Amino acid sequence: MDNNNQLKHVFSSILEIDASLINDDLKYQENPSWDSINHMFLISEIENVFDIEIDADDILEMKSFYHTKEVLSKYNLDFNL
Amino acid sequence: MDYIFDHISSNKSLKFIDVKTNSIYKLNELLLPTEELALKGRQLIFLYLSTSLESVAVYLSFLASKHPVVLLNNGIGAILKQNLEKEYKPSIIYDVNRNEIINYSLKEIKNKAINISVFINDNSSILVHETIRLLLSTSGTTGSPKLVKLSEHNILQNALSICDYLPINKKDIVPLNLPLNYSYGLSVLHSNAIKGGTIVCGLPDILTKDFWRCLDVYKFTSIAGVPFIYEMLNRIGFLKKHYPSLKYISQAGGNLSENIKMQFIDYCRENNIEFFVMYGQTEATARISYVPSDRLVEKVKSIGIPINNGKMIIDAETEELLYSGPNVFGGYAKKKEDLKFWETINPLKTGDLAFKDEDGFYHIKGRLKRMVKVFGNRVNLDEIEALLKSSLDMSLLACTGINDKFILVAHCEDALNESQLKKTIFETYKIQGPAIKFKRFDKLPKTKNEKIDYKKIAEEYLEN
Repeated sequence: MDNNNQLKHVFSSILEIDASLINDDLKYQENPSWDSINHMFLISEIENVFDIEIDADDILEMKSFYHTKEVLSKYNLDFNL
Repeated sequence: MDYIFDHISSNKSLKFIDVKTNSIYKLNELLLPTEELALKGRQLIFLYLSTSLESVAVYLSFLASKHPVVLLNNGIGAILKQNLEKEYKPSIIYDVNRNEIINYSLKEIKNKAINISVFINDNSSILVHETIRLLLSTSGTTGSPKLVKLSEHNILQNALSICDYLPINKKDIVPLNLPLNYSYGLSVLHSNAIKGGTIVCGLPDILTKDFWRCLDVYKFTSIAGVPFIYEMLNRIGFLKKHYPSLKYISQAGGNLSENIKMQFIDYCRENNIEFFVMYGQTEATARISYVPSDRLVEKVKSIGIPINNGKMIIDAETEELLYSGPNVFGGYAKKKEDLKFWETINPLKTGDLAFKDEDGFYHIKGRLKRMVKVFGNRVNLDEIEALLKSSLDMSLLACTGINDKFILVAHCEDALNESQLKKTIFETYKIQGPAIKFKRFDKLPKTKNEKIDYKKIAEEYLEN
């Protein structure tokens, strides 16, 4: 699985939404299941799956699916942005 | 009769800031002319609120009236809202998320600053006992029809007791960062409206940069949080930064893990911030006890001492923590007929098992019922178990709580649709999917009396 699909899979499993509904426009708080609690679950699942440690300041930057990819690019993960 | 609104309106320092427009308002600029609705007698009012300026204005305007008010979260789903309205038949509904409601007409009420619309049904008239002033849900977002009945006396006395121990003063700038339909969030508004200075409305979510920019810009003097918020603050680097305006922080809504509590205690000592750990229930309007901030280090495991005018007793036989005081509710309402009655409840049975130490501080050691608190949501495990059993049509299933963080579903199925179950639990109880864990057993562990051994189930899960 490439990084893009792997990240989609993480979002889909944590937010319990179909992978086909996950696109760059998916935004924190706009989707009812992407609340602050699931946001923290997302962070720890992303850390597990990609084996990285996300910096505290970056957590607030991951405010959409697109922004999440942007942040993760800083950790040497390629999303073809 | 002493009214909370009179205490609020006599606070001449009280101001409200709307973050969205960066405007400042005095209380009288917020109040809407609810008398223009021409309601006859006392009518049941439903308010679906956020923490926006409009929500605060609508709530305070109805608090100034004598109508009984039900506070609900505006984020709950439309179907859940309809079910609640079908049950209670309110005369007035305030909900910015809907354009129309069947059998209701829209009516505008406004003042110079604010313009809102409410839904009105002139034919509805539900009898509500004269003592009932405010109704709160214990569950927050699940849309359960179970409401806690509170009186004018309850809310005023609880707010005054809170003012008695929190260092609230006229110079304070307090953010409304908790929902107003949640008893803790409402208590922040009440106590600060009586004794504080500036109340900040319409804030963005605490997990956004904008919230922290607002803290800097408006110079918040306090933050209130449930355990999850503290865990989050810890994770987003709060403890590595300095916030010179902060004077105190408070925590309630469940037990904060000792490790994180200690980190905040150290941080607060280094930064000259007072830290208040508190305990309560919606059934006690909000607050039951608190730990005086100068005793927190030595009483880190305690829920503290009773608030002013409150009394805590331990039942000699069951060890259950009992509470009595002017803030104890008047019973539950599950349907509109229950609104006709006010029960005198003395004492309030908290459902928590506790002991009192030699210094008079109380400590929780367990729960009488099988309840867990998952992210501030109080859930009855037996209820979840029953829901899952009926939706799956299976009997070999048991739910238990793991450290107040997760719910473990123990089962004996070979192929369980975990995703479907998580969805069911989220829809009914608003418990996030990742907070639900599963473990398959060949046979569910039983006690000597052939009862499910929940302790064993939890132990076996934690061992792996």
